[in-house]
Amino acid sequence: MHDADIYSEHAQLRRPLAWSFGLHVAFAAFVILYATFIQGFRGSGWGSGGTGDAMGATLVSAVPLPANPTQTTNVLATESKGLAKSQPAVEEKEPEAIPIPDKNTKVKPKPVTSATKRKAEPEAPETNQIPYGEGGPVNGPYTMTAGGTKGGFGFTGSGGDFGSRFSWYVEAVQRKVTENWLKYEVDPRISESKRVYLTFDIERNGRPTNVQVEQSSGVPSLDQSAVRALQRIDTFGPLPSDYSGSKVSVEFWFDYKR
Amino acid sequence: MSNSARPVRYHFFIIVALLSVLASVASAQDWIRTGTGLGVERVRLAAADFKGSNSDPNNVTLLKTFNDVLWNDLDNAGIFDLVSKSFYPLQEPGQPSEINFSAWNSPPPSTSMLAFGNLGVAGGKVTVQGWLYDVKNEKSPQVLGKQYNDNATGDAVRVIAHRFADEIIFRLGGGVNGIAETKIYFVSERTGHKEIWMMDYDGANQQQLTHLGSISLSPRISPDGSRLAFSSINKGGWEIMMYSFDLNRVVAFPRFGGMNLSPSWSPDGKIAFSSSRNGYPNIFVVDPSGGNSHRLTEGKGPDVSPTWNRKTGSQIAFVSGRTGLPQIYTMESDGTNLQRVTDQGYAVSPNWSPNGQFLTFSWMRKYGGGEPGSNDLYLMDIASKQWVQLTHDAGRNDFPCWSPDGRHIVFQSHRNGSDQIFSMLADGTNVKQLTFKGGNTQPNWSWK
Repeated sequence: MHDADIYSEHAQLRRPLAWSFGLHVAFAAFVILYATFIQGFRGSGWGSGGTGDAMGATLVSAVPLPANPTQTTNVLATESKGLAKSQPAVEEKEPEAIPIPDKNTKVKPKPVTSATKRKAEPEAPETNQIPYGEGGPVNGPYTMTAGGTKGGFGFTGSGGDFGSRFSWYVEAVQRKVTENWLKYEVDPRISESKRVYLTFDIERNGRPTNVQVEQSSGVPSLDQSAVRALQRIDTFGPLPSDYSGSKVSVEFWFDYKR
Repeated sequence: MSNSARPVRYHFFIIVALLSVLASVASAQDWIRTGTGLGVERVRLAAADFKGSNSDPNNVTLLKTFNDVLWNDLDNAGIFDLVSKSFYPLQEPGQPSEINFSAWNSPPPSTSMLAFGNLGVAGGKVTVQGWLYDVKNEKSPQVLGKQYNDNATGDAVRVIAHRFADEIIFRLGGGVNGIAETKIYFVSERTGHKEIWMMDYDGANQQQLTHLGSISLSPRISPDGSRLAFSSINKGGWEIMMYSFDLNRVVAFPRFGGMNLSPSWSPDGKIAFSSSRNGYPNIFVVDPSGGNSHRLTEGKGPDVSPTWNRKTGSQIAFVSGRTGLPQIYTMESDGTNLQRVTDQGYAVSPNWSPNGQFLTFSWMRKYGGGEPGSNDLYLMDIASKQWVQLTHDAGRNDFPCWSPDGRHIVFQSHRNGSDQIFSMLADGTNVKQLTFKGGNTQPNWSWK
């Protein structure tokens, strides 16, 4: 009786296992065939057109303000002086003279407490001022520092191969959106967030239309700042004249990291 | 368990199949997928010297002019990382067929874009062919191909070079027009009187516009470029004057009485200026013809130097001394919602950026004897009121004015011992002196 139960368990598992195996094989075959013949709908990696040697400075919103690539507090490492005064050196007062105890008294001198070494309060910096050492070449609220996230382009196109033919246009789009994204619009309490994905169309004359949040980051102010970046842009420049389509759809993601 | 697992797996298979079908349907549309954090670097661009397309002896001087102007324009644009000419391959192309892609897209030049072409003079006419190639994309490299014909003069070749540079900047700069053909208007006293002058954006072709023999200040070009408003002193005092580029002379404009200074054009052609016709200097707005004047500010002021939000035309920034030292204020164009944007020191000469996002102005943050610092130029983000300093340790700097592309600022500086006009990128780098003769002040950049 006991044994019979066990055997019946075995018998019950065989068919699902076979199904499972069969489906896995079928799925793997499907993936391989799909990748081989339909080229994969994310496309091959491409984008900045080969290896980018000798990169320049980061561009900025509307005005091309290069970001200070390295944020350092070392004054000598920046190109120009900062705006704020340096914090004054902390003066330490000599402790009051301690009376030499009489030979006969057994009272030991008390150790000097730190209360006498009161430090001078540093001058509070103005809130809208660039801190010392970061003045450098302008590094204001509108500079976009690339987050260092590794990413790539992907595109699909059976109708046209916009991405590979006009990679210079794609790069211009990427540059312009990043320039117009003001990170200070994001809630300052957020230090890191999921990606937000936007989709929009670029018409023949270069106007972005139909801006939509495809996948929210879960942070409303981040979603909002991404949409505003697109709303700030009047045009990306007309689509290349060799391109026959009437519009291009763009999926653009924003990585936020403070 | 097995009974429930089977339908789930069927569903899964169906969903995968459906998704793959959907994906291939969606791919009929051209899609770009991209995002931030991919390294927003400047475009790396090489500009090979143009070659002579024939052996005409006039080619040499014209080619030199053309190559110099083109290089300067691209260098000034502020969006390129120009590859130094010393890195170029020895065989520079003059025709698309002469390009050796691998020599350009790998080190040392390692460029992604290449501008090249040829120039030839024949029968007093010059023909210039120019191309812009994406040399990392050998399959379809051409971004731009242009041909220009004009008289074989240095000036004509200069204009052609400006146009070709603007085409490149327009394509690669995200649809923002280049500024190579823009003009700068300014006040010069090199003739002994302060008169209005104009020049190309790079300081070339300086020419005098007014010959009034008095004192003329604050030139402001209209958005369409057809008229120039300025203030000038005459028998009745300081009045707003108007110069027409259609007639090439000063044309009639109403006299308002009192002291009228610092005109400023709105994007739709209205003029704001400071007038003391009612006793105290206040900001007034008039129609393009000078009619329908109305006052926007009140009180003793003095309120001067209005500047419109060039994007929306719905806000005006101006300077007011109502609390003592001059400070910068903003208000709506109907005079409501007055806000003070500077909190200390001595702030003058506001100018609104073309995208409406920034104010640039001249500011002495600590004013008074013995205080450190000087007149320096600052940039303020209007929405957040955060600012940065653009000039450092370089004499008195004043009268900043934005270029139409929003990437440059022209200003007046006393850094070399006399007032001269300089331009720089809007982040304070790449400062270039444009004028050298006499005293030159109060530059104003054309709108396009």
